[in-house]
Amino acid sequence: MTDGDVAKETEGVTGTETTETGHAYATPGARGLISAIVRRELRTVARTRTFALLTAALAAILLGIGWAGGGMESGYVPTVVDVLTPLEVLVPIVAVVFGYRAILGDRERGELEVFRTYPISSWQLVLGTYLGRAIGVVLAVTVPLTLVFIGVVFTETERLRVYATHAGADSPVLFARLIVLAVVFALVVLAIAIAVSALVSSARTGLVAAALALLVVLFGLDLAIIYGFVAGPLGEGSLIYALPLSPLSAFRGLVLEKVIVTAAGTGPRAASPIASLFGLAAWTIGSLVVATLGVEHLE
Amino acid sequence: MSDESATAQQHNDESAPATHHHDGEAATSQPQNGEATSESRAQNDSSGEGTEPILTAESLTQRYGAVPVFEDLELKVEPGGFTALIGPNGSGKTTLLRALAKLYRPTAGRVAYHGPSVPRPIGYLPQQPRFRPGFSVQETLSFYARLVSGDREHATETATDALERVGLEAAADRPVEALSGGMTRLLGIAQATIGDPPVVVFDEPASGLDPGMGLRVFDVATDLADAGTAVIVSSHDLELVETHADTVFMLDSGDFVAHGPPNSLYAAHEADSLLEVYRAAISGDADRVRVRGDGE
Repeated sequence: MTDGDVAKETEGVTGTETTETGHAYATPGARGLISAIVRRELRTVARTRTFALLTAALAAILLGIGWAGGGMESGYVPTVVDVLTPLEVLVPIVAVVFGYRAILGDRERGELEVFRTYPISSWQLVLGTYLGRAIGVVLAVTVPLTLVFIGVVFTETERLRVYATHAGADSPVLFARLIVLAVVFALVVLAIAIAVSALVSSARTGLVAAALALLVVLFGLDLAIIYGFVAGPLGEGSLIYALPLSPLSAFRGLVLEKVIVTAAGTGPRAASPIASLFGLAAWTIGSLVVATLGVEHLE
Repeated sequence: MSDESATAQQHNDESAPATHHHDGEAATSQPQNGEATSESRAQNDSSGEGTEPILTAESLTQRYGAVPVFEDLELKVEPGGFTALIGPNGSGKTTLLRALAKLYRPTAGRVAYHGPSVPRPIGYLPQQPRFRPGFSVQETLSFYARLVSGDREHATETATDALERVGLEAAADRPVEALSGGMTRLLGIAQATIGDPPVVVFDEPASGLDPGMGLRVFDVATDLADAGTAVIVSSHDLELVETHADTVFMLDSGDFVAHGPPNSLYAAHEADSLLEVYRAAISGDADRVRVRGDGE
């Protein structure tokens, strides 16, 4: 293959090097390397039946709750209220299942070590893994919630009463906000799961660490904030700025602030949206940095 | 190292610091009955007297806490050579190979690659290669090829070439989890050669394989060496080693107790086979597994 051949249809290429056997390699750049990892993860997600079953189960549970709770007949915001608490539990579970073996599996098989002989750095590997799995997680959260949304569209029968009893307006836009916020929450927990995946070295410790991470996300951080509030360090005024320390509280606060309170038109301030988004971003970036360090210091 | 036998100590003197068969004591014995491919490589090597090593290890030391695995090892590997590393279980072969593949930072000393600037200087085959399930053989190699080539078409060609190199074309569409142990090993070798690394390190490539498959694996390694790749292999199959390797390093208790071309080792130990050299050079009770660090 000539250099000219190599130049065509390249992706994120940084230069061309010729080996002793005469092969010219259009060295992939960071984008090309990350893209290769993303594609691999996407194939894994698409071919792993567990992920499809998990998505179907989430859809069934949310549709069941929305229907049984009566929210779907009442409108978008009542449905949000019905599914919010289940989402707080189920979204982290879905994200952790998608992510906790992503890097661990490569480590167990020895492929992580083999990657060290390739021109890919730890951060590229972690970012590619995260992005690939993230596409799967986005689908796993979006599809069930979209089905619930469609359910509301077709079963909503009390539109007028809802409009009359809410100062604000019930609107599909508010449900769309829930979907976006749930996806963001899932992506944050996925980053935490990827960090766990990069730090453990066996399937058993991976499972235990993933379960622990779930407990911390679901209960531990909230309990710590409550303790801080009760014990004194956190005052009433600073509480809404402390809540984003927990991804779950940040998600819940954003849903309350941007979906439910908006619809109600009034109510106490539930969260600081900026602080919540900052908190979620910090958890995501921090987790990916931890994952990178975990891969970097592999022994 | 302090408890090595006299024989081992005597041969230990041969090992440092010049380790290739062109240099030092062992190189004075000319190959007598080497296998054809290794002979031809030896001739090529001799024509390139003074060839610069492509990989060197200097004062290489590895300890796990207070437990030494090996200390102050020196090694030079030349382009196109087939270097074999043999020794008892637990002698540190895998740790040494991983250091040579630059997979970790040793406690002390350094491994330096002196070859051309290529995307992937050193290829590595782990002792038990495994691949992500759910992918075909071709997909697996294409993925690895994409890590060294930004061109999709070229990456596919690279993967196909690697498959052909190990004779695994017929299994290209087979899921990796459906491969036999030997085929998985061949896929591992194909992976190790992706990007045409000038140095490849194979950790026990014939381990657990039937004789035919083991021979095939070593033949593939020999072909790579013939093509100019520096091949470093660890193995317990002494017959395969003596018929394929240009240079043998015998590692015992964290030190090279013998090294040189197989025929030179026979001469030095008045032996007829590598097994006899092994028995003469390796210290300790062969019936007992030694654990590095105990009592040292």
